[in-house]
Amino acid sequence: MLVDADAHYLKSHEWVKQDGNICSVGLSAYALEQLGDIVYIELPEVGTEFKKEDIFGVIESVKSASDMYMPISGKVVEVNTEIPDNPDRLSKDAYGAGWLLRIEAADPDPAELDTLMDATAYQQFLETEG
Amino acid sequence: MEQAKQTPLYDKHTVSGARMVDFAGWRMPIQYPDGIVAEHLATRKHAGLFDVSHMGRFQISGSGAVAFLQRTLTNDCAKLAVGQAQYTILANETGGAVDDAFLYCPEAGSFLLVVNASNKEKDWQHLQRHLADFTEVRMADVSDEMVMMALQGPESESILQSLVTGGTLPESKRNAVASVTLAGVEVLAARTGYTGEPVCFELFIPAQSAGTVWDKLLAAGAKPVGLGARDTLRLEAGLPLYGHELGTAPDGSEMPVFTIPLAAFAVSFEDASRKFIGRDALEQQAAARQRYKNGDFSDTAALPKVVRQFKLSDRGIARDGSAVYYEGQPIGWVSSGTMVPYWTAQDNVLTDEHSQRAIGLCVVAPHVAAGSEIEIEVRGRKLKAKVVPRNLENRKVKVTYAL
Repeated sequence: MLVDADAHYLKSHEWVKQDGNICSVGLSAYALEQLGDIVYIELPEVGTEFKKEDIFGVIESVKSASDMYMPISGKVVEVNTEIPDNPDRLSKDAYGAGWLLRIEAADPDPAELDTLMDATAYQQFLETEG
Repeated sequence: MEQAKQTPLYDKHTVSGARMVDFAGWRMPIQYPDGIVAEHLATRKHAGLFDVSHMGRFQISGSGAVAFLQRTLTNDCAKLAVGQAQYTILANETGGAVDDAFLYCPEAGSFLLVVNASNKEKDWQHLQRHLADFTEVRMADVSDEMVMMALQGPESESILQSLVTGGTLPESKRNAVASVTLAGVEVLAARTGYTGEPVCFELFIPAQSAGTVWDKLLAAGAKPVGLGARDTLRLEAGLPLYGHELGTAPDGSEMPVFTIPLAAFAVSFEDASRKFIGRDALEQQAAARQRYKNGDFSDTAALPKVVRQFKLSDRGIARDGSAVYYEGQPIGWVSSGTMVPYWTAQDNVLTDEHSQRAIGLCVVAPHVAAGSEIEIEVRGRKLKAKVVPRNLENRKVKVTYAL
């Protein structure tokens, strides 16, 4: 599955899924496929606050390093600590076990989601981008 | 922009599911579906097969060939017997590298010069300019007539041997060259390579028969490897790449040839009568290297920096361009660096477990010797690293493993 129907996306391929006022954030399966073997990932600490489109971490393949951008404003309440030690797990389940951060959204009803691409728009974006 | 060229093996790569990228004017496989990590590991434990047909190949022959090569290359080709190859450099007058290259002597009076794809045009022009000073030399670009493949790793000899239908493989000595018939195809085989593997071959195959040989080598157990793992393998072995450890520094200045330790094997001063291009400047660089070996760093004008291998102690990856610090002072830059996988080894035998480590090459002030603790700036943070003599060990056994 390259695109998860329940997620919203940035053009830089980060996804966000809302569950109440907690949002999960990760990197799309498409982006992970493009990157190839992931060998290093750096994530922020719990408690860090970000605005939408702030850089929250870095993901590195053998060939390149890419910044990761926050799809939504808020505070990090949980970090998937499994991932930095096992970055290869990320690509196996990008939208599930491969989540990176849980965010407490700044706005309890994050209107910011509406400013992102939904799954259909992201799918179209991938087709035109590719 | 001109459309990227395809090697005669292009269809083989796409059928295998390779991801193709543009590199030096060629459409080349960066990786196959298993990925760079798996390809790197397969080469270290089994055998990797690389299409390196993008590299430039010049055939130089005629009674004046030796005199011409003695002038334009830094190594002494008079010492190159038939059936041998040598690492060499095309130097300029100021002791910088136009390119680094391998010179093969398959038969008396005939040489094959293999140069970097990205420098092929420049090398050709450079050599042509000097060719005017010589007579009885024929130089031909034979790149399109033959495919060049590399077969590298501990199992490469048995795989190659299983295909021999005539002649014998080159003797088991680094840089040996021989004609051999593989599956009915006459090829030139050399024990050379760019992976640090002690068991290694490079093959020159008539273009029209290359696909057959490629298929048979894969069927015999070799794994196709793309340019991605080619780079991690050479990096782990500490081998220089033009544009990173040779050529021009990030500030645009020319890097002296002796910046790379391998220059000691590529530049020969033995024959005092050889007046190769750049000799005077290179002698000064070599003298500086000798002084550094004796612990004398009082005069670094001829050779301000040298290439060292490092491994990162902190988590992270140091990539090319990152600043290197020693005792708080900026003393150079990372020229190549990434995360590379390795098989863990026990009693000189590779296990089935693999891990990864961040390593690289840096161009630093000469007093920063092996054992030095350095810092490398990555995204505004200084990561701890250590200068090491080398990142690979392959002396004790015929298997290369990570240190």
